[in-house]
Amino acid sequence: MPDNTTTTIKGYIKYRGQGHYAFLMHRISGLATFVFLTLHIATTSTVFLAPSMYEMLVRVFRNPVVMVGEIIMAFFVVYHGVNGFRIAYNDLFHNELWAKASTRSALGYVFITAFVLWLPAICIMGYNLLKSGLGFFGGE
Amino acid sequence: MIADNPRVQGSRSIETYSWKWMRLSAFFLIPLVWFHSIIQALITGGGNLSLEYVQTRWMFLGWRIYDIFLLAFAFSHGISGLRQVLFDFIKSAHWRSVTNWALLAFWLLITFIGAIAIIGGVRMPG
Repeated sequence: MPDNTTTTIKGYIKYRGQGHYAFLMHRISGLATFVFLTLHIATTSTVFLAPSMYEMLVRVFRNPVVMVGEIIMAFFVVYHGVNGFRIAYNDLFHNELWAKASTRSALGYVFITAFVLWLPAICIMGYNLLKSGLGFFGGE
Repeated sequence: MIADNPRVQGSRSIETYSWKWMRLSAFFLIPLVWFHSIIQALITGGGNLSLEYVQTRWMFLGWRIYDIFLLAFAFSHGISGLRQVLFDFIKSAHWRSVTNWALLAFWLLITFIGAIAIIGGVRMPG
C-alpha cells in the first residue's frame, strides 16, 4: 500500500494549478477557525459552568498578544466566508463557474473582497489593541 | 477502498448529505457569523466583555435563539470540515470509523456545554 500521508502532503505543497492556494487557505483558515470556535464555546460556557473563571478569562482576552491573534483570526474568518460563498454558490447553482478562466478571475475578487472586508476589523480592533492593550490614546 | 464501501455509493449516502450540509450551512453561517462578529468583536470589543454584559444580552430571548442557531450551524460545519481534512490523511476503514466516533463524541460534548450555557444563562457569583 502506498504511503498515503506522503502523497497527501506532497499534493498540498506542490502547486496544482488554479485555485490551489485558495484551497490551501480555505483549509488553513477553516482549521484555525475550528480551534478558535472550540475555545470560544468552551470559554463562553464558563458563564454558567464556572462564572468566577469567566472573569479571569476576560483578562486573558485583554492581553495584547491575544488581541493580535484575534485580528489575524478575523482575516481567516472573513476569507473562509468569502471563499466558502464562492464554493457553495458554484457547486449548488453554477457548476460552469468552475471552468479554468472563471476560477482565475474569481480568485482575484475573493482575495480583494476578503481584504476589503477585513479593513474594518484592522481599524477597530487595531485601535482597541493600541488603546486598551498597549495604553495609547489615553487608554490604561 | 472508497468505491468498495457501499455506504458511500448512490446519491443518498451520508457523504452526499455531508457535502450538501457544508454548502447549505455556509449560506446560513455567513450572515449569522457576520452580525455576531460585527456586534461582538467590533462594536462591543472582546475587552469589554463581562458577566454583566452577557447577562444583559441574554435577557432578550431572541439573542439566545440566535446563539443556539449559531452554535448548531457553526460547530457542525466545523466538525464536518475537520472530518474532511482528516480523511485526506486517514485512509483505512478502521481508523476512519474511530475518527467518526471520536468526532461525534467531541461534537456532542462541545455542543452540549455550549447549549447548557445558553439555556442556563449567567450564574452570578456570590
